[in-house]
Amino acid sequence: MILESQLFQPFTDEPIAVTSESGEWIAPFELDLGPDELRRMYQDMLLGRAVDERMGRLQRQGKVSFAAPSGGHEGAQVGIAHAMRAGHDWLFPYYRDVTLPLAIGVPVVEFVAQAMGTAADPSRARQMPYHPSSKALNIFSAASPIASHIPPAAGCAISMKLRGTDQVTVCTFGDGSTSEGDWHAGVNFAGAQGAPIVFACQNNRYAISVGFEKQTGSDSIYTKAHAYGMPGYFVDGMDALASYYVMREAVQRARDGFGPALVELLVYRYGGHSTADDDSRYRPRAEVEAWRKRDPIARLRRFLTRKGLWDEAAEREAEAVVKAQVDDAIAQAQAAGDVALETMFEDVLAEVPERLVKQRSELLG
Amino acid sequence: MSALTMVQTIARTLDEEMARDDRVVVLGEDVGKRGGVFLATEKLFDKYGPDRVIDSPLSEAAIIGAAVGMAAHGLRPVAEIQFADYVYPGFDQLVSQVAKLRYRSGGQFTAPLVVRMPAGGGVKGGHHHSQSPEAHFVHTAGLKVVFPSTPADARGLLKSAIRDDDPVVFMEPKRLYRAVKEELPDDLDALVPIGKAAVRRVGDDVVLVSYGGSMAETTRAADALVEQGLSPHVIDLRSLAPWDEETVLEAVARVGRVVLVSEAPKSASVMSEVAATIAEELLDQLLAPPLRVSGFDTPYPYAQDREYLPGPARIMRAVQRVLDY
Repeated sequence: MILESQLFQPFTDEPIAVTSESGEWIAPFELDLGPDELRRMYQDMLLGRAVDERMGRLQRQGKVSFAAPSGGHEGAQVGIAHAMRAGHDWLFPYYRDVTLPLAIGVPVVEFVAQAMGTAADPSRARQMPYHPSSKALNIFSAASPIASHIPPAAGCAISMKLRGTDQVTVCTFGDGSTSEGDWHAGVNFAGAQGAPIVFACQNNRYAISVGFEKQTGSDSIYTKAHAYGMPGYFVDGMDALASYYVMREAVQRARDGFGPALVELLVYRYGGHSTADDDSRYRPRAEVEAWRKRDPIARLRRFLTRKGLWDEAAEREAEAVVKAQVDDAIAQAQAAGDVALETMFEDVLAEVPERLVKQRSELLG
Repeated sequence: MSALTMVQTIARTLDEEMARDDRVVVLGEDVGKRGGVFLATEKLFDKYGPDRVIDSPLSEAAIIGAAVGMAAHGLRPVAEIQFADYVYPGFDQLVSQVAKLRYRSGGQFTAPLVVRMPAGGGVKGGHHHSQSPEAHFVHTAGLKVVFPSTPADARGLLKSAIRDDDPVVFMEPKRLYRAVKEELPDDLDALVPIGKAAVRRVGDDVVLVSYGGSMAETTRAADALVEQGLSPHVIDLRSLAPWDEETVLEAVARVGRVVLVSEAPKSASVMSEVAATIAEELLDQLLAPPLRVSGFDTPYPYAQDREYLPGPARIMRAVQRVLDY
């Protein structure tokens, strides 16, 4: 159902943008975000990129085992985060979400400690890097098996509907996810139940090395929404404000009882799939450089500068603040120390069963 | 309460638990108006409506996966998989999501849910309606697995499973669904604890351990042994993860001879684990090697449906071997 109050039409041929590459407002409606909110979005992106870049360095130093570069995804992720009610709505994230959990409010120290596997990780150092979770903020625990979180996200939204809460579930994933059976199983169930969920695909056109044209015979992801009885929106994910506005509308629509939506945010990852990847084997440098010129952070900076909300001095100050924040978080994460060895046997079940008690003694003596 | 079959008991128990706790919901294929293909959810739809008795799309991944999200959000879902043989599209959900959620989130998120599934052979269903896949689940850390053999145990274990804070795979021996009727206690809180075996007969000559559908054949074999003047000790495991090591080891230590009966394929089965544990703990007290009588390492056949099952004759032969050892 398309509502008259909607700003956006689903199933557009071209990706929705509200700012131009040079930072002009080009949407046919009035901007309704205040200066503080706009600056906060920008600062969240700076933080996301700083954390991401530092993770790469920590990996090279051997302090984390792995990093999954998310540079180029910051615009889409900050838009998704700001469209949600932090700590009220639920997020089912995937491993390339960095700016997204940080912008919702995950403390940098928790993100860093999760990657480093120290005692400051609320998930008790159980997962490889880039798998954060936060019960306090309703950020579900990320899982590596691609798209395995889609049916649980659908179930969470069905629960919201039948319990009559006014919450919304947001579920993120990449383009590769949409080939998994579980993706279709989950999206289909959410559609059949009219559950309050927004499926947000960060399409960076590569699943490790496999390009989009090998991933699907479809021209796009958002058109798949037709098959599940929900609107599909096509968004320029390098435009943070377009990402925000479309997500805000999809989230509100779900909250108002009009059911799920699928949003495709077209982005690019500047780095390899992970620190274990060599992307020069499968994509030309010229392509990467061309996308870097469309950087979402630079685009929002141009927008803010045009509006007189940002300048060189603000940039220098924000970068210093972010650097200090990241330095401080790494120091805190390290200072927390290792988790105790015996915690390996906890949280398998609510109580440690007798058999595990014996196995624990085998290890600890 | 009048006497009920196992499948009637399951429907009654779901009703009792849904009445007790409005967080309990049922989902699966055909669980609504149809009341389940075996009628294990009969009349629940009329009583509780489509919000709590949810007819799902035909997708085991969606059923089990959605149950994870519902449980994390605060419900107590009971998912039905129509046949255990069809669980595999949802197997990734069981292994990667259900079993891992508590661990990987450091206890922040949990999945208190039940996945029910009819399992086992003896109904001429061929290999896709007869399998016993419990070893897969037992091998997966983070799951509890139960497999009752009587209506009363089905009721008591299902109540425990629904009230448990951990995910429970609840396996139902479909060939015993309507085999016997049992008078059930009026007590709505008559729980059977997960992890406790039941001693069905006390004896001194040989210990027979079984569970689920194979309890029927094991019981017949035990009756035949008694007629021959022997004294078998019969244990129904009921729970497979965790299983009741104490009850099994105590009996085997005392008797010294044990035969382990399960219709699941022999290799890497639950009974292989029981046998290994007995050997590790009790080698010097054994009077004979622990023997397994099991299904075969073949797909479950159609025409030889009965012969595949470990029937009384095969059980008796194994008993003779441990007695003669």
